[in-house]
Amino acid sequence: MAEPSLSDAELIARVVVGDDRHAFSELVRRHQSAVRTTLRRLTSGNHALADDLAQETFMLAYRNLASFRQEAKFSTWLYRIATNAWLADARKRKEELLGDRDADIADDDSAEHGDDADGGADAERSASLSMDMARAMAVLSDAERAAIIQCYHNDLSHEEAAQVLNCPVGTLKTHILRAKQKLKTRLAAWARD
Amino acid sequence: MNERPANSGDDWLEAALQADGQAHRAEYLDDAGFTAKVMAALPAPVALPAWRRPALTLLWALLGLSIAFALPGFVVDVVRDVLRVVLGQSVSLAGIGAAVIAMVVAAWAAAAFVLRDD
Repeated sequence: MAEPSLSDAELIARVVVGDDRHAFSELVRRHQSAVRTTLRRLTSGNHALADDLAQETFMLAYRNLASFRQEAKFSTWLYRIATNAWLADARKRKEELLGDRDADIADDDSAEHGDDADGGADAERSASLSMDMARAMAVLSDAERAAIIQCYHNDLSHEEAAQVLNCPVGTLKTHILRAKQKLKTRLAAWARD
Repeated sequence: MNERPANSGDDWLEAALQADGQAHRAEYLDDAGFTAKVMAALPAPVALPAWRRPALTLLWALLGLSIAFALPGFVVDVVRDVLRVVLGQSVSLAGIGAAVIAMVVAAWAAAAFVLRDD
């Protein structure tokens, strides 16, 4: 029986050596929130799709656990699988997604300016910024959004994020720079506040 | 993020991204059956049939008996040669003790492996 006090490495060893299902369920329980929230961000808030991709992520992790070399953290490895699953899915849905997203953003924009004009308490302001940020993130390219999410949301270093996204560090920095330029334009109203 | 940008003109954006990231990390999604769903979707474990262990034991026993019958003098010869080699050495009491301890440890480890909790 897998104990909660065991480290990720010990649980992984149990799964690889003895196909210990309890150990794997403990790993899923530990990391499900981080993987699912990351995928929710990557999918611009599509919870159902995010959970499907999260399930796919853990299935792939289970199948490939023996190849996990423990050079990176287990969570970083999971982020990599999750990001790849999302990118593969996004490629499939690209045209449909772009069309829907543009329409949503156009609709949302008309509502958000009204909120800004009203102002309000700090919590309201924070929630409003969070919503604006989510909308602004939706206009980023897949690679730019993934770079921002890995570096800021998952708090990975540039090297770790580059590893997750399977690209050179220089490319990752370019994605971040471009993403910030787009976000700056998109969130310009907040710069003046 | 470990690296901080040098561009102070983007401080507000940097602060907003940091705050958004912090909010993201603080967010905890309740499992709500997610783990159970994943576990249910895993391929079924390869279940070994119940007769496998007794069958293997029987096969090993048959193999041992076959060798003993096929080569009647073999076991006696092996034991005799082993004894000759051992008795030819000057074996100390400590050596015998160490050998006994090693055998006990090996037997205990084998028993622990066989009786381990799957």
